[in-house]
Formats: sequence, structure tokens, C-alpha cells
Amino acid sequence: MLIFDWLEPVLNFDWLRAVPLAGAKAVFLILFVIIGLLVLMVPKWYIYEGVERPRWWHNLKLWALGVLLMIFVTYYVF
Amino acid sequence: MLSGIDYFVVVAYLVGIMLLGLYFRKFIHSSKDFFLAGRTLPFWAIGMSIVVSDIGAMDFVGVAGQAYRYGIAVGNFDWLGSVPAMLLAAFVFLPYFWKAGLYTIPEYLGRRYNDYVRTVASLTWIIFFAFDLGILFWATAVLLKTLLGWPVWFSIIATAGVVGLYTFFGGLAAVVMTDVVQMIIMFVGGTTVLFLGFYHVGGWSGLVEKITAMGPAYQDHFKLIMPVDTRTPFPWTGILFGLTFVMANAYMIGNQAIIQRCFAAKSVWHAKASMITGAFFKMFIPVLVLFPGLIAIVLHPGLEDGDQALPMLIRSVLPPGLTGLLFAAFLAGLMSSVDSILNSTATLWTKDIYQKFIRKDASDHHYLVVGRCTTVALLIFGVITAPASNLFPGIYVAVQTFLSFFQGPVFSVLLLGIFWPRATQWGGLAGVVGGIGAAAFMHVFKGRLFTIEDPFLYVSWWSFVTGVVLTVVVSLATKPYSGSRLVGLVYGLRSKDDKDIEEATQC
Repeated sequence: MLIFDWLEPVLNFDWLRAVPLAGAKAVFLILFVIIGLLVLMVPKWYIYEGVERPRWWHNLKLWALGVLLMIFVTYYVF
Repeated sequence: MLSGIDYFVVVAYLVGIMLLGLYFRKFIHSSKDFFLAGRTLPFWAIGMSIVVSDIGAMDFVGVAGQAYRYGIAVGNFDWLGSVPAMLLAAFVFLPYFWKAGLYTIPEYLGRRYNDYVRTVASLTWIIFFAFDLGILFWATAVLLKTLLGWPVWFSIIATAGVVGLYTFFGGLAAVVMTDVVQMIIMFVGGTTVLFLGFYHVGGWSGLVEKITAMGPAYQDHFKLIMPVDTRTPFPWTGILFGLTFVMANAYMIGNQAIIQRCFAAKSVWHAKASMITGAFFKMFIPVLVLFPGLIAIVLHPGLEDGDQALPMLIRSVLPPGLTGLLFAAFLAGLMSSVDSILNSTATLWTKDIYQKFIRKDASDHHYLVVGRCTTVALLIFGVITAPASNLFPGIYVAVQTFLSFFQGPVFSVLLLGIFWPRATQWGGLAGVVGGIGAAAFMHVFKGRLFTIEDPFLYVSWWSFVTGVVLTVVVSLATKPYSGSRLVGLVYGLRSKDDKDIEEATQC
């Protein structure tokens, strides 16, 4: 049927078939960088909300960036 | 397969976990204590509990088996399938959920949209969890029978008895604190197999060298990113769109069994930190459950059934005592999943259905009793329905398919609900119902619509897109709630308390 013929290449992402594996890998690495930049943009008050006496280790941005570094290195290597 | 010392380790583990869980019964005085541990839990316990609840006994065998067949690409489900979603949950969703004082995710959907959306979401989770219990019991019991020769009913009754006792008496506090111990046991057991396995294959370099020398069939075993036309179920497009953007977020943000423990954090900071801690521990899970499958390729090549990889490895590398520790880790995987399902389903039933539709103004003690009775009823239902997984093998597939229909559409309304104030109650309902309908359509015609064998990642993505489109279109055609009605439920619409905190921080 016509509708299935039209839907199949769209649903299966055939339009991304030409992207090389290196390009696909770069997509994931860029995604981690974007998430890192968004984390850096989180306001200070929002990070320390709920902490009575803030210390440097309460800074959840550092925690998040540490985890992002781990996953970035994993996907960069493999 | 087990020696005397191994049996001692397993029995000591079961008794120890039960006693630890029962210790927390003295802290249960109200329904809030039972369902949310009195909102007293620290971030590290919640983070560890999230990780261990996500790993079942079957994952040890199943993931190792998939790694044996496909290589490290299966690790995407723990890395990309967790870390970005857990950061999104920590920084965007959780602060709003925690400050709203929620017990359940459907409760948020009810406040943001309407009671129809809440009820559809809650009933779907209750049905899924109820049937999943029986499947979990049976699958793990069959695994233990194969590996240890334990009778199936012994495994089911023993684990159900231990988990049931501490979940009934100790509520969420017992669930989370026993999970902490379960995670330590899983990490110790998994790490032991890993180190002994690496010792036998000559370390990491020896493993890579030996597997890549085995021929073209193993050339992709150390690649995380697979092409669109891969024969594996993990094309990079499915991993990016289906897993990273939809399924991971739906699981980490919309799954009651995962997110409920974050509602029990002792402060909003602990709630956020718990998810990031969970993301940190999640980074190590593929190492523990996946690499043994790769090691088995070298030590036991040519296995027809990849799921035999881990059992064969255990037989060849683990000495007595440590084998018992690994089987304790298997049981930890089962028990941590079952206790989470029991407590979460009891919460969904009591708060979203019983308190909403059956008895609205009862005493707090009454709801505590209902929560405990639901726990027992679910446990009995799980034990009774366990053999049904064997008698009707289609049940497992049907339950999993049912969930895959549901995840994308629910995440679409959660996402729009928190980011788009214009999303209306009828838009949300259309998004959930229409998205589920689209997923069912794609499932029915999957042979004609998809070219890969098991297109669940693609179905999740496209049902999510359908949910978003329907929610937007119907919302634009219907009347939105006023801004004041949405304060504390939509990102950017903050309460006066939030603004005071911001001003105080800037000063």
C-alpha cells in the first residue's frame, strides 16, 4: 500500500543512512558537550537549594560534569 | 554446583537481608513513613537503590549473553540509556516533583492535566508491575534451577518470603536500605568474576587481541556505535532517538519504581544528588555485567546459546565461596527489583486509585493498612501467576510490548507538561491515548513498516513524536489553565519560596 511505502524509509531513518559511523560517533560526543554546557548554565541558587551551609562539594555541577567526562571518554575510546 | 561454604554464604545473605529490612519496621508510624520513608533518605542510599533496582538477576545472564553475541554495543543501554536521562531528571524534573510533595508520577499528571490522565497512567503501571512480578519470580527461579538445581518453588517461596516480610513491615526505608547492601554484594560478586576472568585471558589487551583474532564475525565486538543497517538490534539511530531521547527518560523520570525513592529524599538537594550518584554508579554496571560475556568468548568459544556464557564462566573461574557470593548477587538482583515493584505498586494503588475513587477521607492509619494489605495481595498474585509465564510464554512478550506502547506517549506529556505552560488537560489526554494507539498500530504492522528485526526503539521514538504532535495540536485548540494554577508544576513558573531562595543566594 502507498502509505506503507511512504512510511517505511521515514520510520527506519533511511534518510540518515549516508551518515558515516565517525559522524554518528561525533553526534553522541556533541550531545555530551551540549549537556555539559547546559549543566554549566544552571543558576547557583538552584544548585545549592536545600543546603543549609553550602560547601564546594555540594556543587552538583561538579558531580554532573564528572559523570559526563566519564561517559565522554568511554564513547570517545569505543 | 555449590559447595558447603557457598550454601552458607547464600543462606547468611538471605537471613541478613531479612533482619536488616525488619529493623526498619520501628520507624513506620504513618502512610508517609511507609510510602516515602518519612522523607528522610540520604542521597547516597537512594542513588545506590536506583541502580540496583534497575538490575535484575536475569540481567547478569542476559546482558552477558548479548555481549557474547553482539559485543559492547549492548552497554549503550546502561550508559546512554541512563546518564543523560538521570541528569535531566536531577536538574529539571525532580526539584518540581519533590517540592510538590508527590507520592506518585501519575499524581503529577493529575495535577498538571486531569484525573483521566492520572488514572490511565496509574492503572497501566499497576497492571504492568503486577504481571511483571510473576515473570520475575519464574524467570529467576528457572535460572537458579538450571544453575544450582534448586526446585523452582523453593526459589520462589524463599525469595518471596524474605522480600515480602521486610517490605510489609519496613516500607520504602527497608527497600532502599536493603538495596544498599544488595548493591555492595552485586558489585563485589561482579568484580570478582571480572578480575578472575581477566586473569585467565591475559588482561584487557589479551582479551582484545584474542577476540579480534577470531575473525570477521567479531570485528564489531568493541564498537559502541553501530551503523543504521546493522544486523544487531542496536543501530545508532535507534540508540539516539529511541533509547537516549525517549526510553531512557521515560524509564528514569516516568517509572514509579525508580523515581519514588527520590521523592523520599530528605531535601531537594538530596533528591537531585541521588540521581547524579545513581548515574555515577550506572557507569560501572556494563563493566560488571557485560565484560564477563566478552571473557567467555575467549574461554568458551562457539556456544550456540549466548545465555550460557556466564554460567560457563562461573564454572571455569570461580573457586568455592566466591560462587556462593555471586549467587547471592543474583538473588540481590531479584529481590531488589521485587521489593521496588511491591512498594511502588502499593503506593500507586493506595494513592491514585483507593484514596481517589474508593475511600477519600479515611484516617492516615487506614491508608497505611491498605498499603500493607496491597503489598501482601501483590506478593500472593506474583507467586500464583509465576507459573503462567511458563504455561503461556506469550505473557512475557505481551507485558513488555504493553510497556513499550506506553513509555513514549507518557514521556511526551511529562515533557510538555513541565516545559510548556500552554499544554492543556485535553491535549495531555490526547497525547497519551493517541500515542499508545500509534504504538499499537506500528506494532501490528511492524513487519511492513520496519526493516530491523525487533524495532522497539523505533516504536518508542515514533509513538513519542505522535504524543508530542497530538498534545500540541489539541492543546492549541482547547482552553489552557491559568498561570497561577500551574505554579510549581511548570519549569520557570516558580513559587514565592523559590524566588526568596534565589534572592537570598544572590545576596
